[in-house]
Amino acid sequence: MKRILVIDDAATVRMYHKSILRSEGYEVEEAINGIEAIEKALNGHFDIYIVDINMPKLDGYGFLKELRTLEIPQAPAIMVSTESDDTDKKKAFTCGANYYLVKPVKPEQLATIVKLLIRGE
Amino acid sequence: MGFVKRQKEERADVNERVYERNCDGFSAQLKDPDPAVRRWAARDIVECPGASTVLLERLEKEEAIEVRQAIFTSLINIGDRDAITGLVECLRSEDAALRNEAIEAMKQLPEGVSAIIKELLKDDDPDVRIFAVNILEALSHPDVEEWLIDVIESDSHVNVCATAVDLLAEIGTEKSLNSLDKLRTRFSSEPYIQFAVNIAIERITNGQYHDK
Repeated sequence: MKRILVIDDAATVRMYHKSILRSEGYEVEEAINGIEAIEKALNGHFDIYIVDINMPKLDGYGFLKELRTLEIPQAPAIMVSTESDDTDKKKAFTCGANYYLVKPVKPEQLATIVKLLIRGE
Repeated sequence: MGFVKRQKEERADVNERVYERNCDGFSAQLKDPDPAVRRWAARDIVECPGASTVLLERLEKEEAIEVRQAIFTSLINIGDRDAITGLVECLRSEDAALRNEAIEAMKQLPEGVSAIIKELLKDDDPDVRIFAVNILEALSHPDVEEWLIDVIESDSHVNVCATAVDLLAEIGTEKSLNSLDKLRTRFSSEPYIQFAVNIAIERITNGQYHDK
Protein backbone atom coordinates (compact mmCIF):
# COMPACT_ATOMS: atom_id res chain seq x y z
CA MET A 1 0.00 0.00 0.00
CA LYS A 2 1.33 3.46 -0.94
CA ARG A 3 2.10 5.72 2.01
CA ILE A 4 1.41 9.44 2.16
CA LEU A 5 2.54 11.98 4.75
CA VAL A 6 0.14 14.90 5.24
CA ILE A 7 1.84 17.89 6.87
CA ASP A 8 -0.39 20.71 8.11
CA ASP A 9 -0.79 22.49 11.45
CA ALA A 10 -4.60 22.59 11.12
CA ALA A 11 -6.16 19.39 12.49
CA THR A 12 -9.28 19.67 10.32
CA VAL A 13 -7.21 20.03 7.13
CA ARG A 14 -5.20 16.93 8.03
CA MET A 15 -8.42 15.01 8.70
CA TYR A 16 -9.89 16.19 5.38
CA HIS A 17 -6.88 15.15 3.32
CA LYS A 18 -6.64 11.89 5.22
CA SER A 19 -10.29 11.05 4.58
CA ILE A 20 -9.90 11.70 0.82
CA LEU A 21 -6.69 9.71 0.51
CA ARG A 22 -7.85 6.79 2.65
CA SER A 23 -10.95 6.45 0.51
CA GLU A 24 -8.55 6.09 -2.47
CA GLY A 25 -6.78 3.22 -0.70
CA TYR A 26 -3.66 4.99 0.58
CA GLU A 27 -2.11 4.66 4.00
CA VAL A 28 -1.85 8.13 5.52
CA GLU A 29 0.32 9.53 8.29
CA GLU A 30 0.21 13.05 9.67
CA ALA A 31 2.69 15.65 10.90
CA ILE A 32 1.80 19.00 12.47
CA ASN A 33 4.85 20.96 11.28
CA GLY A 34 8.04 20.64 9.24
CA ILE A 35 10.16 19.44 12.15
CA GLU A 36 7.84 16.53 12.91
CA ALA A 37 7.64 15.76 9.18
CA ILE A 38 11.43 15.54 8.86
CA GLU A 39 11.53 13.09 11.79
CA LYS A 40 8.83 10.95 10.14
CA ALA A 41 10.57 11.08 6.76
CA LEU A 42 13.80 9.87 8.37
CA ASN A 43 12.04 7.02 10.13
CA GLY A 44 9.72 5.69 7.45
CA HIS A 45 9.25 5.59 3.69
CA PHE A 46 6.61 7.78 2.04
CA ASP A 47 5.50 7.77 -1.59
CA ILE A 48 4.12 11.33 -1.51
CA TYR A 49 4.32 14.34 0.81
CA ILE A 50 1.40 16.77 1.00
CA VAL A 51 2.77 19.96 2.50
CA ASP A 52 1.17 23.16 3.84
CA ILE A 53 3.25 26.37 3.60
CA ASN A 54 2.43 28.33 6.74
CA MET A 55 3.28 26.25 9.78
CA PRO A 56 5.00 27.09 13.06
CA LYS A 57 8.54 25.90 13.89
CA LEU A 58 9.43 24.89 10.31
CA ASP A 59 7.27 26.02 7.38
CA GLY A 60 6.58 24.07 4.21
CA TYR A 61 9.40 25.68 2.23
CA GLY A 62 11.88 24.93 5.01
CA PHE A 63 10.65 21.35 5.22
CA LEU A 64 11.06 20.76 1.47
CA LYS A 65 14.53 22.30 1.36
CA GLU A 66 15.61 20.10 4.27
CA LEU A 67 13.89 17.01 2.85
CA ARG A 68 15.67 17.34 -0.49
CA THR A 69 19.07 17.29 1.24
CA LEU A 70 18.34 14.07 3.14
CA GLU A 71 19.98 10.87 2.01
CA ILE A 72 16.73 8.93 1.84
CA PRO A 73 14.72 7.71 -1.17
CA GLN A 74 13.06 10.91 -2.42
CA ALA A 75 9.34 11.15 -3.20
CA PRO A 76 7.20 13.79 -4.92
CA ALA A 77 5.73 16.60 -2.84
CA ILE A 78 2.51 18.53 -3.36
CA MET A 79 2.50 21.99 -1.82
CA VAL A 80 -0.98 22.97 -0.64
CA SER A 81 -1.60 26.53 0.43
CA THR A 82 -4.04 29.41 0.71
CA GLU A 83 -1.45 31.52 -1.16
CA SER A 84 -2.29 31.75 -4.84
CA ASP A 85 0.49 34.19 -5.89
CA ASP A 86 2.93 33.18 -8.60
CA THR A 87 5.75 34.09 -6.20
CA ASP A 88 4.64 31.39 -3.78
CA LYS A 89 4.29 28.84 -6.55
CA LYS A 90 7.76 29.62 -7.94
CA LYS A 91 9.26 29.43 -4.48
CA ALA A 92 7.54 26.08 -3.87
CA PHE A 93 9.02 24.60 -7.06
CA THR A 94 12.46 26.06 -6.27
CA CYS A 95 12.33 24.37 -2.85
CA GLY A 96 11.54 20.99 -4.41
CA ALA A 97 7.77 20.78 -4.80
CA ASN A 98 6.40 18.77 -7.74
CA TYR A 99 2.92 20.26 -7.76
CA TYR A 100 1.12 23.23 -6.22
CA LEU A 101 -2.52 23.23 -5.14
CA VAL A 102 -4.47 26.20 -3.79
CA LYS A 103 -6.77 25.58 -0.81
CA PRO A 104 -9.53 24.62 -0.45
CA VAL A 105 -8.69 21.49 -2.39
CA LYS A 106 -11.42 19.51 -4.14
CA PRO A 107 -11.32 15.77 -3.31
CA GLU A 108 -11.17 14.62 -6.96
CA GLN A 109 -8.40 17.14 -7.68
CA LEU A 110 -6.22 15.85 -4.85
CA ALA A 111 -6.92 12.21 -5.70
CA THR A 112 -6.03 12.75 -9.38
CA ILE A 113 -2.77 14.59 -8.72
CA VAL A 114 -1.65 12.03 -6.16
CA LYS A 115 -2.41 9.19 -8.57
CA LEU A 116 -0.45 10.87 -11.38
CA LEU A 117 2.56 11.64 -9.22
CA ILE A 118 2.66 8.13 -7.79
CA ARG A 119 2.65 6.76 -11.34
CA GLY A 120 5.53 9.14 -12.07
CA GLU A 121 3.63 11.19 -14.64
CA MET B 1 27.34 27.30 35.78
CA GLY B 2 29.63 26.55 32.84
CA PHE B 3 27.02 27.96 30.49
CA VAL B 4 26.79 31.21 32.46
CA LYS B 5 30.56 31.54 32.41
CA ARG B 6 30.66 31.01 28.65
CA GLN B 7 27.98 33.67 28.14
CA LYS B 8 30.06 36.12 30.15
CA GLU B 9 33.13 35.30 28.08
CA GLU B 10 31.17 35.76 24.83
CA ARG B 11 29.84 39.09 26.04
CA ALA B 12 33.36 40.13 27.07
CA ASP B 13 34.54 39.42 23.51
CA VAL B 14 31.80 41.65 22.19
CA ASN B 15 32.68 44.41 24.65
CA GLU B 16 36.26 44.36 23.46
CA ARG B 17 35.02 45.76 20.16
CA VAL B 18 34.59 49.44 19.57
CA TYR B 19 30.97 49.67 20.72
CA GLU B 20 29.89 51.82 23.65
CA ARG B 21 27.59 50.11 26.19
CA ASN B 22 24.79 52.54 25.50
CA CYS B 23 21.82 52.82 23.13
CA ASP B 24 23.85 54.26 20.24
CA GLY B 25 26.40 51.51 20.74
CA PHE B 26 23.75 48.77 20.70
CA SER B 27 22.24 50.23 17.48
CA ALA B 28 25.67 50.18 15.83
CA GLN B 29 26.33 46.67 17.18
CA LEU B 30 23.13 45.46 15.43
CA LYS B 31 24.89 46.09 12.09
CA ASP B 32 28.09 44.20 13.00
CA PRO B 33 29.08 41.48 10.50
CA ASP B 34 29.31 38.92 13.32
CA PRO B 35 25.88 37.36 14.14
CA ALA B 36 26.94 36.71 17.77
CA VAL B 37 27.54 40.45 18.22
CA ARG B 38 24.21 41.31 16.61
CA ARG B 39 22.42 38.78 18.80
CA TRP B 40 23.78 40.38 21.98
CA ALA B 41 22.83 43.82 20.68
CA ALA B 42 19.27 42.62 19.98
CA ARG B 43 19.00 41.56 23.62
CA ASP B 44 20.78 44.54 25.18
CA ILE B 45 18.84 47.22 23.30
CA VAL B 46 15.49 46.35 24.93
CA GLU B 47 15.56 49.23 27.48
CA CYS B 48 16.48 51.88 24.90
CA PRO B 49 13.90 54.42 23.67
CA GLY B 50 12.71 53.56 20.15
CA ALA B 51 14.22 50.07 20.40
CA SER B 52 11.28 48.46 18.57
CA THR B 53 11.85 50.59 15.47
CA VAL B 54 15.58 49.82 15.41
CA LEU B 55 14.96 46.09 15.88
CA LEU B 56 12.28 46.00 13.17
CA GLU B 57 14.59 47.78 10.72
CA ARG B 58 17.24 45.15 11.40
CA LEU B 59 14.71 42.34 11.08
CA GLU B 60 13.97 43.34 7.47
CA LYS B 61 17.48 42.36 6.39
CA GLU B 62 18.55 39.94 9.09
CA GLU B 63 19.24 36.42 7.81
CA ALA B 64 20.86 34.72 10.82
CA ILE B 65 18.24 32.60 12.57
CA GLU B 66 19.69 33.15 16.04
CA VAL B 67 19.65 36.94 15.59
CA ARG B 68 16.09 36.88 14.25
CA GLN B 69 15.04 34.83 17.28
CA ALA B 70 16.71 37.32 19.62
CA ILE B 71 14.99 40.22 17.82
CA PHE B 72 11.57 38.55 18.15
CA THR B 73 12.21 37.81 21.84
CA SER B 74 13.11 41.46 22.44
CA LEU B 75 10.06 42.70 20.52
CA ILE B 76 7.88 40.44 22.70
CA ASN B 77 9.58 41.79 25.84
CA ILE B 78 9.09 45.39 24.71
CA GLY B 79 5.53 44.75 23.45
CA ASP B 80 4.82 48.42 22.74
CA ARG B 81 2.65 49.82 19.95
CA ASP B 82 5.64 50.12 17.58
CA ALA B 83 6.55 46.47 18.16
CA ILE B 84 3.00 45.34 17.42
CA THR B 85 2.67 47.57 14.35
CA GLY B 86 5.96 46.19 13.04
CA LEU B 87 4.85 42.61 13.65
CA VAL B 88 1.65 43.31 11.71
CA GLU B 89 3.78 44.50 8.78
CA CYS B 90 5.73 41.21 8.98
CA LEU B 91 2.41 39.42 8.29
CA ARG B 92 2.44 41.07 4.86
CA SER B 93 5.95 39.81 4.06
CA GLU B 94 6.74 37.46 1.15
CA ASP B 95 8.97 35.54 3.57
CA ALA B 96 6.91 32.65 5.02
CA ALA B 97 9.34 32.09 7.88
CA LEU B 98 9.14 35.76 8.88
CA ARG B 99 5.33 35.66 8.74
CA ASN B 100 5.23 32.57 10.93
CA GLU B 101 7.70 34.02 13.42
CA ALA B 102 5.55 37.17 13.59
CA ILE B 103 2.41 35.10 14.19
CA GLU B 104 4.12 33.21 17.03
CA ALA B 105 5.38 36.50 18.53
CA MET B 106 1.94 38.11 18.33
CA LYS B 107 0.44 35.10 20.11
CA GLN B 108 2.65 36.03 23.03
CA LEU B 109 1.35 39.61 23.17
CA PRO B 110 -2.33 39.00 23.95
CA GLU B 111 -3.05 42.39 25.49
CA GLY B 112 -1.58 44.54 22.73
CA VAL B 113 -2.81 42.30 19.93
CA SER B 114 -6.38 42.12 21.31
CA ALA B 115 -6.59 45.89 20.87
CA ILE B 116 -5.99 45.66 17.10
CA ILE B 117 -7.30 42.21 16.23
CA LYS B 118 -10.70 43.42 15.02
CA GLU B 119 -8.90 45.72 12.59
CA LEU B 120 -6.75 42.80 11.35
CA LEU B 121 -9.81 40.61 10.90
CA LYS B 122 -11.18 43.27 8.51
CA ASP B 123 -7.88 43.85 6.65
CA ASP B 124 -8.11 44.13 2.85
CA ASP B 125 -5.62 41.28 2.41
CA PRO B 126 -7.27 37.86 2.97
CA ASP B 127 -3.90 36.36 3.95
CA VAL B 128 -3.61 38.86 6.80
CA ARG B 129 -7.17 37.96 7.88
CA ILE B 130 -6.17 34.27 7.87
CA PHE B 131 -3.11 35.04 10.01
CA ALA B 132 -5.30 37.10 12.36
CA VAL B 133 -7.54 34.05 12.85
CA ASN B 134 -4.41 31.94 13.50
CA ILE B 135 -3.37 34.44 16.18
CA LEU B 136 -6.81 34.30 17.86
CA GLU B 137 -6.06 30.69 18.79
CA ALA B 138 -3.67 31.86 21.49
CA LEU B 139 -5.32 35.05 22.70
CA SER B 140 -7.49 33.54 25.47
CA HIS B 141 -9.74 36.59 25.14
CA PRO B 142 -13.42 36.27 26.16
CA ASP B 143 -14.55 37.62 22.76
CA VAL B 144 -12.63 35.14 20.56
CA GLU B 145 -15.68 33.05 19.75
CA GLU B 146 -17.73 36.19 18.92
CA TRP B 147 -15.00 37.39 16.57
CA LEU B 148 -14.90 34.00 14.85
CA ILE B 149 -18.68 33.97 14.47
CA ASP B 150 -18.46 37.41 12.88
CA VAL B 151 -15.81 36.09 10.45
CA ILE B 152 -17.87 33.11 9.32
CA GLU B 153 -20.98 35.26 8.96
CA SER B 154 -19.44 38.15 7.06
CA ASP B 155 -16.13 37.27 5.38
CA SER B 156 -16.50 36.49 1.68
CA HIS B 157 -13.17 34.63 1.35
CA VAL B 158 -13.50 30.87 1.61
CA ASN B 159 -10.05 30.31 3.16
CA VAL B 160 -10.60 32.95 5.86
CA CYS B 161 -13.88 31.24 6.78
CA ALA B 162 -12.24 27.81 6.60
CA THR B 163 -9.51 28.89 9.03
CA ALA B 164 -12.15 30.31 11.40
CA VAL B 165 -14.12 27.05 11.26
CA ASP B 166 -10.94 25.08 12.09
CA LEU B 167 -10.57 27.16 15.25
CA LEU B 168 -14.26 26.98 16.12
CA ALA B 169 -13.89 23.18 16.01
CA GLU B 170 -11.47 23.59 18.90
CA ILE B 171 -12.95 26.39 20.98
CA GLY B 172 -16.52 26.83 19.71
CA THR B 173 -19.63 26.40 21.84
CA GLU B 174 -23.32 26.05 21.07
CA LYS B 175 -23.37 29.80 20.33
CA SER B 176 -21.58 29.04 17.03
CA LEU B 177 -23.90 26.30 15.76
CA ASN B 178 -26.38 28.51 13.92
CA SER B 179 -23.64 30.49 12.13
CA LEU B 180 -21.82 27.29 11.20
CA ASP B 181 -24.98 25.96 9.67
CA LYS B 182 -25.45 29.17 7.65
CA LEU B 183 -21.85 28.97 6.44
CA ARG B 184 -22.48 25.45 5.15
CA THR B 185 -25.29 26.87 3.03
CA ARG B 186 -23.29 29.93 1.90
CA PHE B 187 -20.42 27.71 0.63
CA SER B 188 -22.55 24.76 -0.44
CA SER B 189 -20.25 23.92 -3.38
CA GLU B 190 -17.05 23.81 -1.28
CA PRO B 191 -16.39 20.26 -0.05
CA TYR B 192 -13.80 21.45 2.47
CA ILE B 193 -16.26 23.83 4.15
CA GLN B 194 -18.87 21.05 4.29
CA PHE B 195 -16.33 18.71 5.89
CA ALA B 196 -14.94 21.28 8.34
CA VAL B 197 -18.38 22.52 9.42
CA ASN B 198 -19.48 18.93 10.07
CA ILE B 199 -16.38 18.35 12.17
CA ALA B 200 -16.90 21.59 14.11
CA ILE B 201 -20.59 20.86 14.77
CA GLU B 202 -19.78 17.30 15.82
CA ARG B 203 -17.03 18.55 18.13
CA ILE B 204 -19.25 21.21 19.69
CA THR B 205 -22.16 18.81 20.08
CA ASN B 206 -20.23 15.75 21.24
CA GLY B 207 -17.21 17.44 22.76
CA GLN B 208 -14.50 15.64 20.86
CA TYR B 209 -12.86 15.10 17.48
CA HIS B 210 -13.68 11.92 15.59
CA ASP B 211 -10.93 10.95 13.19
CA LYS B 212 -12.73 10.14 9.94
